[in-house]
Amino acid sequence: MLFSWEFLFNGFGIALSPENLLYALIGCFVGTLVGVLPGIGPSSAIAILIPLTTILPETPAIIMMAAIYYGAMYGGSTTAIVVNIPGEASSVPTALDGYEMAKQGRAGAALGISAISSFAAGTLSLVGLTFFAPVLANFALAFGPPEYFALMFMGLSLVISLSGRALLKGIIGMAIGLLVSIVGQHPLTGAARLTFGWSEMLAGVNFISVIIGLFAIGEVLVNVEKNIKLIYDKKLKGIFPTWADIRRCLGAMGRSSAVGFFMGLLPGCAPAVTTFVAYDLEKRVSKHPEKFGKGAIEGVAAPEGANNATSSGGFVPLFAFGLPTGPALAVLLGGLMMYGLQPGPLLFQTKPNFVWAVIASMYIGNVMCLVLNLPLVGLWARIAVIPFPVLGPLIILFSVIGAYSIRFLLFDVWVALLFGIVGYLMRKLKFPMAPLVLASVLAQMLEASLSQSLLISQGSIAIFFTRPISLFFMILAFASIARGIWMTIKTSGPEQAEEETD
Amino acid sequence: MKTQRSADKTSGISLAVLGVVVIVASYGITSPIADRLPPHTLPVVLGWTTLATGILLALRAWRSRSEGVVIEWPNREGLIRVVVNLVGLAVFIALITPLGMPLATWVYVTFSIWYLDRRIIRAVIIGFLSGATVFYVFVRFLELSFPLGPLQR
Repeated sequence: MLFSWEFLFNGFGIALSPENLLYALIGCFVGTLVGVLPGIGPSSAIAILIPLTTILPETPAIIMMAAIYYGAMYGGSTTAIVVNIPGEASSVPTALDGYEMAKQGRAGAALGISAISSFAAGTLSLVGLTFFAPVLANFALAFGPPEYFALMFMGLSLVISLSGRALLKGIIGMAIGLLVSIVGQHPLTGAARLTFGWSEMLAGVNFISVIIGLFAIGEVLVNVEKNIKLIYDKKLKGIFPTWADIRRCLGAMGRSSAVGFFMGLLPGCAPAVTTFVAYDLEKRVSKHPEKFGKGAIEGVAAPEGANNATSSGGFVPLFAFGLPTGPALAVLLGGLMMYGLQPGPLLFQTKPNFVWAVIASMYIGNVMCLVLNLPLVGLWARIAVIPFPVLGPLIILFSVIGAYSIRFLLFDVWVALLFGIVGYLMRKLKFPMAPLVLASVLAQMLEASLSQSLLISQGSIAIFFTRPISLFFMILAFASIARGIWMTIKTSGPEQAEEETD
Repeated sequence: MKTQRSADKTSGISLAVLGVVVIVASYGITSPIADRLPPHTLPVVLGWTTLATGILLALRAWRSRSEGVVIEWPNREGLIRVVVNLVGLAVFIALITPLGMPLATWVYVTFSIWYLDRRIIRAVIIGFLSGATVFYVFVRFLELSFPLGPLQR
């Protein structure tokens, strides 16, 4: 895959045709919509639309499908910020500070910075996709199971900082998150684990149900208990973020772009992982880390930026090697193959106009998403003024739809209900929830990569310390753990840890 | 469980019990295929971790000299509201198959809004609109495979 300005300009020429602009706009709109609706994600939306796009030529069809994918990244933060329902695991870090901002009357500012950060990071990572795809694709290929395990292990070490001062409770949350995700059939051997003879549990517990239960249902139960009449008792302040807000977030946007883009190159490294990493990084570099979790605007900008950067980064291995890095890109790959297009280096030689038109359309689509989303900020923020006795049951309804739509199993809805109670109790007993979510997201890949690595090394764990990339991540992980423990000992005694949790 | 200290003791002991259950269940996991990382390894490790951290939490609370913050448990009315909402949600889930998602939605939303708001007309209208939205947006437009109950015909 070679970059050429001529190809890129040709791509813009094709992408700017009225027909392609229209389909990019439709894709951005549908993507934003499916991002907002908790019941349906980009993978399902693209899958549903594939048969409908067969009447279109390949270029507008793929432009539209790609726009649905990155458009969904824009809309996904809305419910996380406004009503504390992260419809996807990637929106959990956004909810940590976004919902706090909303409770302070700054839902509009949180939604606005989310759209701006998504645009900035999405565009920056597109520059990476445009200019550096071949080199970066080779970097992604250097990742084998040991590197993945080390990366996931590093991801798990973020539990230390996500736990705040409640380190022990954070570790307990992590253990519960890992336990929940190993329920069901073992992915390699098919052995039933912790199913207690219950056949429904063989399918495993989907982490989206866990998230919906912990955050949405748990939050509604707390508000119902207190007989809340309005979800926010403060008036909406300034619908849009101020210039000062944007300036504060510039660093976060840049850093989250880099984190999201580079991690997005790795197959299996979903936005659910990169958003946590970007959030943690931002907390570490911040001069006021204590404000994170209490409505820090950088805590919204960082995960939202990483989310979009990851989605753009995922196009590098998709185009260069035909490797989808996540479910939505796998469906998109299906769309490409339906048109007889085999992604890989040859695609750039045989169909340069098509590839560069899609890449160019993504620049245009990012602008469209920003223009579509910013005016809607006021509308979404006003959800906050709906009386809670009406809003609460509607949140539960969307939670049920969201949980059921994952696999169309009622079991998933019961799991959401169970974790709603768990979330309610965790709030009461001051257990941090983010470690549980992070662990449940990482668990399967962690175990699979560990198993494969041990198979390669014939049981020796030295494999993680003898390969440069995995050694690098292991050092980062151990440094993170050591720093977290040291900070806990330094800043708070056990008594304080008991009383102060995030 | 009125204070953080007593809550930590109770949750620590409960987690330790959970850990024991997981350990016992994990040793019963068998695999037909030999693997470097047998399927029971991670559950066993996590069971022991849960047991150890649960005991640690309870011990730390037991040794603590401070009672910690007072936990805001619900009063009687609050508890009734939580229980009624949970039961309402459980009934909603149970009704999804026989009534179908749109009708079950109508029943659930109407009941919940009426229970929290006591305005029956508003509750019925919003309940109906919610059911209609589920039917036309999620079933008809997005073609999601929701149970339809009597609407299937």
